Amino acid sequence: MTTTHGEPPAVGADPLSLPPQPVPDAVTAPFWAALADGRLAMCRCGHCGLWLQPPLERCRRCAGPTRFTDVAGTGTVYSFIVQHRATVPGYLDDLPYVVALVELDEQAGLRLPARIVGVDPAQVRCGLRVRAEFADLPGGDFTVAVFRPVDGP
Amino acid sequence: MSRSLGGAAVVGIGRSPFVRSSGRTTLSMAAQAAREALADCGLTAADVDGFTCYSTGDSAGPSQVAHAIGVDDLGWSLSVLGGGNIVTSTVAGAATAVLSGQAEVVVVYRVLGSQTRYGRALERVEVDGEGQFAGPHGYLVPPQWFAMFCRRHQYEYGSTAADLGAIAVQERDHAVRNPHAVARSPITLDDYLNSRWISEPFRLFDCCYEIDGAVAIVVTSAERAADLPHRPVHLLGAADSNRFGGSVDQWDDLSCMYSRDTAPRLWSRTGLRPADIDVACMYDCFTFTVMATFEDFGFCAKGEVGDYFRAGRATYGGDVVVNPHGGLLSEGYIHGLNHHYEAVLQLRGDAGDRQVRGAETALVTSGAGPFGGALVYGTAAP
Ligand SMILES: [Zn+2]
Repeated sequence: MTTTHGEPPAVGADPLSLPPQPVPDAVTAPFWAALADGRLAMCRCGHCGLWLQPPLERCRRCAGPTRFTDVAGTGTVYSFIVQHRATVPGYLDDLPYVVALVELDEQAGLRLPARIVGVDPAQVRCGLRVRAEFADLPGGDFTVAVFRPVDGP
Repeated sequence: MSRSLGGAAVVGIGRSPFVRSSGRTTLSMAAQAAREALADCGLTAADVDGFTCYSTGDSAGPSQVAHAIGVDDLGWSLSVLGGGNIVTSTVAGAATAVLSGQAEVVVVYRVLGSQTRYGRALERVEVDGEGQFAGPHGYLVPPQWFAMFCRRHQYEYGSTAADLGAIAVQERDHAVRNPHAVARSPITLDDYLNSRWISEPFRLFDCCYEIDGAVAIVVTSAERAADLPHRPVHLLGAADSNRFGGSVDQWDDLSCMYSRDTAPRLWSRTGLRPADIDVACMYDCFTFTVMATFEDFGFCAKGEVGDYFRAGRATYGGDVVVNPHGGLLSEGYIHGLNHHYEAVLQLRGDAGDRQVRGAETALVTSGAGPFGGALVYGTAAP
């Protein structure tokens, strides 16, 4: 995985130019901490190995304790949209942008929503193989995992 | 004790005007709808002992609305947190309160004011809960979620923009005959295809029409209903389903919705099947919600909804009339309680120019994605 640094936001920028900012809680905080550290980690049961998204303090299957565990960062586009209208703050200069549900290789049905970068929106397909890379979330405090096609479109 | 909802009936319906921007409070609109629903069935505030609503924290509460219309001693008050997913539970909950003796006459309402617009989120910049994973990617609001569903359906079953358009055009055509509808100008498939992209594969005309307004319905026992002015509309059965904690991202098969689980439950509880339904008020926050749930309820096979609509099977003279009022797409978005209003009007035979002749059963669905429910109304008690 590689890291892409975006431009820092201008001082006094229009708040609508910033995408929604996450509010980590006691359970999700390690997800964001790992990203800040350049790792994509997902919540996993320490007993039975089940991956859990959204994360839980205890496994929903066996009630075992969970911890955040690094994933390979590879997956498949399960579905995607091309966002043409500014209905959510942020990425106004990126319209139209692509958001996908990326199914991670670690477990069937384990999905993360994420922007797909480095490809013409018209070339994105369900089933496209993608790999995570890191980007600064405009706003300054968080890093996010975005995905790029593995072998080009 | 009966395990059926069949001892309960809807006896009154009311609404405030549906407008794009009312300048009114949710309390004012809800009180108007409640007053009209009581007047409709010849009851007064003194007859009411139960009030319930569902909301996403954006509404005047049941005690406030009851007080505002002159109810002095409310015996049963229940405010439910939820949107389209929870409409069936709320109405069935009112019926259950009546059947269990917790209340005798219950008003169910939903009101939406101008401060509530789900289709965009331009003021909200911080997201907690599961939204914290999606929001930072510019993925936060319902048209985006259900466009994601729609894309997967297109991939798996080959459904097309023209199929979605057939639903939008049909519903608008129905709204032309509905004086309460906010969008009454007919549209063509070309109009649909030329409407601007919102969240591709959704265009403008795939999205419901967000408005201000309130709807109220009055639920009481079938015995009491027999003494009231209108032909009672009986509850024949209801079912809900919830999976994946309501997560649209983790729901296992985006080509279908909650209705995959609800439909067999509902048909089993009522002993009915799709061919028995005369009017289908299908929850239509988006065109694709109709497509997925219509398939799930068994009106046609996967991928056949477009052909079904184009063949005229979803309108007058066809197999079942889908959203004769124009639905949330064209009548307006009162979060699905307006579907109940329409079902009652149709089963009374009071729908005027848009009356479905001989309508005896109405399916009303609510919700989209991983959770929702449905119930069936009938002209005869089960
Ligand atoms: Zn476990």
